[in-house]
Amino acid sequence: MSPVSQETGQGASTIHEVLERVCPVMHIAEGFLPPAHAVAWGVASAPFIVHGVRSLTREVREHPESTLLLGASGAFTFVLSALKLPSVTGSCSHPTGTGLGAILFRPPMMAVLGTITLLFQALLLAHGGLTTLGANAFSMAIVGPWAGYALYRLLRRYGAPLMAAVFFGAFAADLSTYCVTSAQLALAFPDPVSGFWGALGKFGSIFALTQIPLAVSEGLLTVFVMRLLVQSSRGELVRLGVLLPGGRAGTGKKADSGAVA
Amino acid sequence: MLPIDAAAHSSRWRRRHPVDKAVLGFGLTALALCLPPWPGAALVALTALAVLLGPAGVPGRRLWRACRVPLGFCVTGAATLLVQVAGPEGFLSLADDGPARAGEVLLRTSAASLGVLLFAFTTPMSDLLPRLVRAGVPAPVVDVALVTYRMSFLLLDSVRRVREAQAARLGHTTRAAAWRSLASLGATAFVRAFGRAARLQDGLAGRGYDGALRVLVPEAGVSGRFACGSVALLGSVTALTFVLEGPLT
Repeated sequence: MSPVSQETGQGASTIHEVLERVCPVMHIAEGFLPPAHAVAWGVASAPFIVHGVRSLTREVREHPESTLLLGASGAFTFVLSALKLPSVTGSCSHPTGTGLGAILFRPPMMAVLGTITLLFQALLLAHGGLTTLGANAFSMAIVGPWAGYALYRLLRRYGAPLMAAVFFGAFAADLSTYCVTSAQLALAFPDPVSGFWGALGKFGSIFALTQIPLAVSEGLLTVFVMRLLVQSSRGELVRLGVLLPGGRAGTGKKADSGAVA
Repeated sequence: MLPIDAAAHSSRWRRRHPVDKAVLGFGLTALALCLPPWPGAALVALTALAVLLGPAGVPGRRLWRACRVPLGFCVTGAATLLVQVAGPEGFLSLADDGPARAGEVLLRTSAASLGVLLFAFTTPMSDLLPRLVRAGVPAPVVDVALVTYRMSFLLLDSVRRVREAQAARLGHTTRAAAWRSLASLGATAFVRAFGRAARLQDGLAGRGYDGALRVLVPEAGVSGRFACGSVALLGSVTALTFVLEGPLT
């Protein structure tokens, strides 16, 4: 007898059903942006992705064993975006995973891992797209991780507790991802009367209704995950530089010659 | 394995070189973006659909399952174009050209998606990724993508099983239990991903791993006839668009 989901009352879900819950609102769909915008966002993302690729290539050349750990990190990022997240308003969505990814693996690495994840989502799930890969990478693999990581580092530098910094880092990463997506859509489709700002208000208000509660939810979830990781995977967190070897929470600098920096 | 990838492995065009299919699929996507939405994108969508369901042999049901959710969100996104903000008729009113703009975006999105799906439904990721090195993508990035790809399925399967076990233990009955279950699911995914990577690393080290993941790629050559046929089809769609543009608009 197959286990019964208490949420849906149906039989056990398949992988595809789990993944169908990945909400593509966060990704701009294939062909949604005009060609000029698609190219422009690709050009804007390119320096960050190239920087990440160079960091990754250097890391793999110096430590060949890092390939597997980085692959595992990419798979974790992919799977994290498939988890169903209950919102504080009662609806549900999924975590972007960019905040946790940036804290664990650093933003340059997230630019590459996030872009690989977006490529897989476009080709394996038909979510997002190849023509909008640049725009989606800019919001989810670049701005989200950098915003979240910057806030996390800032709070840690001023002595905030690890879990508070993790919460606000994940919150900022989630919210900034959606703010950038709103701006991208507003630039592509300005309002006929009020132009860019009117369109930004339209797209922003649609996202704000759902995304502010979801950003809070993602912050809480990230804290819970990090608490469990501190208990169960202290070694990996030390290697990633999140914790110092003595057990204290690190301030973000790499603690040793770990695989991912 | 995910449905699109599973379909690609059993596709009629599985043995064709990815470049052949990229010319056709991505060519249609490029046309969807560059040609006028009406009638250009509509013609591209019809052509892609005909190739997908005809020569490529993709079952219609699988195709519908793959594109229904993204299409639903495109409809939601396009719906915002129907209204305007701060116009003469009030803070929020219907835009005069809203239906036309929304229709154009929907046509363009559907056509472009079908072009990419034509490639995705006929080309397994395991055929595509190793060949990216020849296209100029650094080998370490391709190796990481390959490991990510292969590990994702195992990890997704683990997550599904853990989720089922949590549900069977009443792990989703209350809001607090659901949060606790979700957090432990995320942490378990992390622990399993890194544990599996460490075991793979040990296994590869025992086999003399030197930093390069060598995989066998099925032999296939680029077909000149297929590529020429694809270019001819793309040219025909473009010509037909310009012929029909005047009478239909």
